[in-house]
Amino acid sequence: MEGFKGLVVILLSSVLVNNYVLSRFLGICPFLGVSKKLNQAVGMGVSVTVVMLLATLATWPIQHLVLDKFGLGYLQTIVFILIIASLVQILEIVLKRFSPALHQGLGVYLPLITTNCAVLGVAINNINDKFTFVQSLVSSLGCGLGFLLAMVLFSGLRSRIDESEVPKSFRGVAITLIAASFISLAFMGLAGIVDNLFA
Amino acid sequence: MKRSIKSISVLVCICATVAVLLAMTNYLTAPIIQKTEQENASAALLEVLPDGGSFELVDTSAYTLPSTVSEVYKAENGGYVVKLSTTGYSAGMVIMCGISADGRVVGTKLIASAETPAIGGTAADTFAGSVVGKDVESVDGVDTIAGATKTTAAYRSAVKDALNTVIILGGGSVDIRTEEEILADNLSSALPSANGEFDKYFFVEVLDGVDAIYTANNNSGAVCVIGEKFIAVDTDAKVLSECSDAEAQAVRSAIEKISSTVITDIDLTAYEGLPKQLISAKITATGNYIIEIKAAGYGIAGGNEYHPASGKYIEIRVSLSADGRIIDCLTLSEEETDGIGSACADERFYGQFDGKTEENYDDIDAISGATITTDGYKKAILRAFECVKIFEGGEK
Amino acid sequence: MKKNNGFSVLMNGIIKENPVFVLILGTCPTLATTTNVFGAFGMGISTLIVLICSNILISLLRKVIPDNVRIPCYIVIIAGFVTIVQMVVHAFFPALYDMLGVYLALIVVNCIILGRAEMFASKNSVGRSALDGLGMGIGFTLALCSIAVIREVLGAASFAGIAIPFLADYKIDFLVKAPGGMVVYGLLIALVSALTFGKSPKKKEFSCAGCPGAKLCGSAACHGEKHEEKEEK
Repeated sequence: MEGFKGLVVILLSSVLVNNYVLSRFLGICPFLGVSKKLNQAVGMGVSVTVVMLLATLATWPIQHLVLDKFGLGYLQTIVFILIIASLVQILEIVLKRFSPALHQGLGVYLPLITTNCAVLGVAINNINDKFTFVQSLVSSLGCGLGFLLAMVLFSGLRSRIDESEVPKSFRGVAITLIAASFISLAFMGLAGIVDNLFA
Repeated sequence: MKRSIKSISVLVCICATVAVLLAMTNYLTAPIIQKTEQENASAALLEVLPDGGSFELVDTSAYTLPSTVSEVYKAENGGYVVKLSTTGYSAGMVIMCGISADGRVVGTKLIASAETPAIGGTAADTFAGSVVGKDVESVDGVDTIAGATKTTAAYRSAVKDALNTVIILGGGSVDIRTEEEILADNLSSALPSANGEFDKYFFVEVLDGVDAIYTANNNSGAVCVIGEKFIAVDTDAKVLSECSDAEAQAVRSAIEKISSTVITDIDLTAYEGLPKQLISAKITATGNYIIEIKAAGYGIAGGNEYHPASGKYIEIRVSLSADGRIIDCLTLSEEETDGIGSACADERFYGQFDGKTEENYDDIDAISGATITTDGYKKAILRAFECVKIFEGGEK
Repeated sequence: MKKNNGFSVLMNGIIKENPVFVLILGTCPTLATTTNVFGAFGMGISTLIVLICSNILISLLRKVIPDNVRIPCYIVIIAGFVTIVQMVVHAFFPALYDMLGVYLALIVVNCIILGRAEMFASKNSVGRSALDGLGMGIGFTLALCSIAVIREVLGAASFAGIAIPFLADYKIDFLVKAPGGMVVYGLLIALVSALTFGKSPKKKEFSCAGCPGAKLCGSAACHGEKHEEKEEK
């Protein structure tokens, strides 16, 4: 996995094959909660992508330049979650101050992201997979876009569910999960595609 | 203001307390983690080298090892375990290979792969058994497994790399260059002025005593291969390398023959019954033929080779003497499956046709895993023989 | 809702407000670690320990922690306990550590823990908070194990990694794959809902109130949920 081709492989596999929501279940709470309407889904997806990129931008250098250097690897979880929480806070303040319109659009999703396991998951996985800085950024971008894609697809599916007659016990989360499994099933069909695309 | 100072100090206190707690836990658990990890690691090593005893990571920075080697462990009993990562059908095959002190494979294990589990995965397990007991010479003789040629070939070359690594670490020298690299190195050292850029000369005459000729792309001369020897000549056919008189003579006459060769195109419309696959034909002043012909590749698997839109052809150039003996053979282009049928562009395959006649042309080794490609190729060679017969039979 | 004695606090988490089937919290580990009963049990117990510890500590500190920095404080405390559990598991149960991988670290963002800290521990005495953590933890573990039993036995023809020979020919691979997990979880939620219909608390209120962003969230996601409930009525 070298050079540009390697980056494309990382990007495509994190969007399609190892989609965080659909095959690793990371960030499934907002996936189920905020996918009711298309505009909400897009807002959440974009916010997650932005935060993922920023989080990687901050966590990768800290892991490699601070934690690893001083043998503080055991502080990874606590440091990463604090970085993500502060990033979200800062992003919110900055958006509120300089771009109220954008804050109106995305601001409501930001607090939800602190406890979104996909963001922390990306940051930790980038370290575990021994990615370089650029590879980490690409993988974060891919994961974010994969999340956005899953959200957008699912919001389309959900609007159909809302219009249909669902048995009483299944109303709410139950039918939502079963519907999500169809999207996940569709994505399973993409497994192996990336390797063979460049073989 | 006072409130926020209090807030911040509480937060800082909590952070500091937690950090101290974590440092303490880490102090207590880190040695245990390290110990279990070491045990796990040596358990994996013992699996491929059961009599190894304890293991020690070897510092390999002072050696030039094959690029697939990632870690080397030396065992108490003098054996080695080599960890390699290579590419089979897809990247990420990690193999552990245990080698005894006398340089034989004791055991191998595929510890990670992205191979198709049902095909490459099981094949790798079977293959792991068949390399046991092999040394650096005999490992080449282990057959790959049909249907998983790529996986098993990668496995075999990784095992060979492991065996070579042990030889290198033992102080021996091993040529870890590929055949192409060896050839390129030999050519460059024979004729440095060519800057390493050579074309293989396609023989149209039988050149006695010379096995191959490589001409420099910048016209600074040529290199003749006689046996293991690389003899450089300049443009005036003056021999530059040291060699015996007989060799010098052979080289000079070969170069002379080449430079005096006159080639004329044959008008294909003047003959009847030529195969459709024939692209072009030429004749030399000495009466040898140069024929370019298409062979049906895997893309035309059904045998429907008369429907060119649906398939992919292999283009072959072959030179034959008037009495139907192949002088030289070359694959000009191919679009076969990468890594399988594409081996038809390898000299080790088409070189087998040199010197063959219509009687014994069939007597060659097929490309493993690519029967259809090989058969198509042979059919094209047979057609080349037919063409020569038609040309010799005269115009219509 | 009566929450007078300790026993009802404990049982509350196991049955009435089961975090997995009723409150729908912690969906990520619920789906990701239930392909194997051993992994699910390990995940459940790890979460239980973090939950009890953080509940106790947060309850102890509930009068010290200023309101405006409480969420960061809770996160630090929870992350600390998660890391300790992570190190202990790594040291003494390496097989479990390898199996759970990144999901062990992700207990930190499991909404159950932050949710209980915010909803219960910050308002109740130490003893009650510990019992609440224990109840929620047991409820979480039981739920995870029940999903894992279904997925592993039917999907992989094994139990906690030990093969069940006579099922080997009939295993349904789909169940151990990602979509299979969602289907099993969805069906179980529906089952629980059918069994407790009318008795279970209004699920949405809980899951949203437990969320640290509930206040702001009210204008987006949760607003939609409330809207839906009105329609249902």
